[in-house]
Formats: sequence, C-alpha cells, structure tokens
Amino acid sequence: MRHAFALRIGPIGFRIGSDWRAPIDQLRSLYRDYPAPQDGVADYTVRLFARRPWRRWLRPSVEIGGDYMLPEAAPLPLRHGLLAAEMAMNLQMALGARRHLLLHASAVERDGRAVLMTGVSGAGKSTLATLLAARGWRFMGDEFALLDSATGLLHAFPRLISLKNAAIPAAEAAWPDARMGPLMAATPKGDIRHMVPDARAIAAMDRPATPALLLFPRYGDAAAVRQVPPAEAFVRMTQASTNYVALGEPGFTAMTRLIADVPAVAIDYPDGASGVAQVEALCAAL
Amino acid sequence: MDDAAPGPIYRADPPGGLVLAPLDAFTAVYHRRSGMTHLLTEPAPQILAILGEAGLSLGALLDRLADDYDLADATASALAARLDELVAAGLVATS
Amino acid sequence: MSDDTRPDTDPIETTPSRRRVLTLGAVGAAAVVSIRPALAQTAGSVLNCDIPVPDAGRAGSFIDAQGKIVPSGTKGAFAGASRPFKGEEVRRVLNSGGQLPGTDSERSRAYVNYIRRLQRGQGGFTCFASLQMPRG
Repeated sequence: MRHAFALRIGPIGFRIGSDWRAPIDQLRSLYRDYPAPQDGVADYTVRLFARRPWRRWLRPSVEIGGDYMLPEAAPLPLRHGLLAAEMAMNLQMALGARRHLLLHASAVERDGRAVLMTGVSGAGKSTLATLLAARGWRFMGDEFALLDSATGLLHAFPRLISLKNAAIPAAEAAWPDARMGPLMAATPKGDIRHMVPDARAIAAMDRPATPALLLFPRYGDAAAVRQVPPAEAFVRMTQASTNYVALGEPGFTAMTRLIADVPAVAIDYPDGASGVAQVEALCAAL
Repeated sequence: MDDAAPGPIYRADPPGGLVLAPLDAFTAVYHRRSGMTHLLTEPAPQILAILGEAGLSLGALLDRLADDYDLADATASALAARLDELVAAGLVATS
Repeated sequence: MSDDTRPDTDPIETTPSRRRVLTLGAVGAAAVVSIRPALAQTAGSVLNCDIPVPDAGRAGSFIDAQGKIVPSGTKGAFAGASRPFKGEEVRRVLNSGGQLPGTDSERSRAYVNYIRRLQRGQGGFTCFASLQMPRG
C-alpha cells in the first residue's frame, strides 16, 4: 500500500492503506485533530485496493479490504473513496470488535450520563445526536457505541458523521462552522457528506459515560412516547449489536446488565425540534 | 429407571450450564454449551430447573410439576409442546 | 381446593405459598424465543453489496413464483435478473413494498421470494442476511 494513514477514534486504532492518494489525503485532512493509535499499534487494518493493477487508473474502482473481508462487498468509484474508507472501517469494527459490546447506536452525554439512540437507517439516530450536540450535549458518536462488558460504561466512538440526503443541508444550517468533507453525490446510499465532530467531542473521546436511557426513535409520525418493556428492549438491542453472539457469555452479561439498569423508551417524532424536545423531557424525568 | 417407562427421557444441562437473567415476564438465558441466547416465559424456566436435576419422562415431569405448582391447565399435550420447543432450542435433550 | 374428587394422594400442604399457579400454555403457544441476530448487523451502513438473482452458479435458470429455481423456459416462471440488485434496493422493497427496479409486481415478488430463501453458501446470502434489521 503506497499511501497510508493511522488514527485513533475513541479506544480503537486504525491503519488505512490505499492504492490511491486522494482518499488518504481526505482522511488526513478531516481527521487532523484526532490522536494516533495507542502506542502506535492499530487494532485494525483497512485496505483500499484495486482488484487489477490497471484498475488503479482505468475507471478506478476501490475494493474494500482489511483484517476482515466480506466477499460480496461491491467496489466503489474513486470519487467515493472516502465513503469506501469509512465503510471499510465500519466493517472491521462490526466483524472484529471483542473488547467491547458493539452497539449500532448514536450516543450523546451530559453530566456523565449517556443517551443511546438506535434503530433502522433513516430512523434519525444520527440526526438526533447531532441536533442534541448542537444544544450542549457532548457528542459520543453517530453510528457505534462501545459498551465495556466489565464496567458497563459506554465509550465514545466519534468518527466522521455521515450525513445523507436531506440531513446534509439541515446539518450545514445547524453547524455553519463545522468542517465538512466533499459532497459525494449519487452514492449507493444517496448523497453523502461527512462532517467532523466538534472540538469538544474529539477532546472528550476518552471519557466514558454511564448509560442512562435507551431510545428507539422513529421519524415521520406524530409525537408519541411508549415505554419499552425489558424483554423487547433486550431483543432490539441484540439485533442492534454486531458482535453480541461472538462475545458469548460476557456479551450476555453486558447486555442483560444494560437492560436491567437502563430504562428503554420508543418515540415517534415528526421533526427534529420535536424529537429533541422529547429527549430533553425524558431525561429531565429520569 | 426400573419401570418400563414408555417414551423418551428428557434432561437439561446440570446447574451451572445456564446463566439466567430475569427481565419482566421473560427470563433471558445464556446456554453455555451452545453459546446461544434464548428468552423464556413460564413454564420453560421451571421445566429446565427440574430437568436439570435429573432426566424425567413426560409423565414423571408432569407429576413433578403438579407437586411443586398448582397446574391450572395441565394437559400432557401442552407439556409435550413446551418440551418440543425446548428440544428444538437445544436446551433439553431426549434419550 | 377441597372439593376435588381426586384420590387422596396429594402431598400435605406444609408450605402453601410454594404451590403458586403455573400455566403450561396452549399447544400452539410459544415459551421459547431464540435470539438470532443477523450477520454483520450494521446492515446498509456497512455494506454496499450485490444480490444476483439467481446466483452466478445458476445463471440461466428461471425463478418460479415461490422463488424456487426451475429449469430455463419453465412455463409461468421468470428469467433471472439482468443485473444484480443492490442491498439497498432489496431492503427498500422488503421494508416499504414496491417493486425491485426494472420489474413488474409478479416478477418482483418471485425475485423477492428467491432472495428470502437464500441459504448460507449461496451467492448473495451474506448481503441479504446483513439487511435483516428489525422494523423501527
């Protein structure tokens, strides 16, 4: 790999190698305020490579690889190389994480207590997290939250925030001073633009928080709130974890403790402001 | 085992084979031998507790449950259905 | 519990509180739910993946309305898709309905049934398994 870059996001170190310079330059710029991997040793290696040597130049097509590979991942054009790098990093985490129970959730923190938001793509967990961060909550991550199975504490994973379609102009309006990556139009997931988390989120990335609320938001309906019973929350959270099964008994212990200790609530919300208000009200009542 | 007991003997893992975590009406169970997680509602945890001590036939299990509990709708076919589920989940073995 | 006509073989009730009611449930009910999280659960956020219909090993075969592979030319069955479907396209149809791109409703239904039947080892299975997020 002729071009390489190493960084740490929360407790996880990555080394990214690439056959092309452009994605590495973009990563280095967007992640410039992030630390290096602990002791210089990366947890995961990511590779952006050309399947055939001539595909480096001829209709360049970025294949995703690394310590963990999935055979059916389709390649991306070079102009979406930054997206390929992010997807590859996600994949390594999803398949490889063993030190933490990995939850597919966004998270924000205030006074040492964290709200976890999880749901299908489009449910708004990422958008709600960025809106709450704009209102003074510390942003911990938009996609992954890491639960330490020994302590039950939640660790931040504040990678670049992946904005999609209509969320792009909304975030540009809410965060006019935020640093943004390039607009990648018409990717397989729609238009995508990355936003660098605010300086406070980056500076605080090593400070864990105690989970205080599990939220299952759903965007697009009239405002509604429903307590989620523990067994249902347990099933939803095991579905929202990529490594629950692989962790075995420590995963079971971590998950059952989370469900026993932390209330779970489902909300429907019609717009961002309403969603934020509902979260604030729920937290005030805790 | 001296009676000519018709039908299979059902047994569950001995104590320590399961990690149990009650959550509302369900109990979450981690089955150490298989690494699988299941959610159980009554009467499954009660059945597993009894079958973890010793293997029993369907009839003997029904009797034992009747001793320990007030069985409101006790039919052998209902118990058989519960045992089938537990066998399918790998929590109960038959011999 | 005094009027029953059973023979007097009940054990003496020294701890009546132990004999709480236990329901065995109906024959059709379920008391065991096994947790089966899908593969690579981060789904469309992680993978940009393809699902060919049918998979490369059966290219040229037809798909019947139930999604089973049948010999090419079988009456009432559909030829395979001209291009693989993206995971996102399939997920959209599974969650919200509608048709797979380039298909009418009957053909789309046959293709979706085929995809739902995919087993580990068949091309497209990993991609399909990664789409199995529960409805919000």
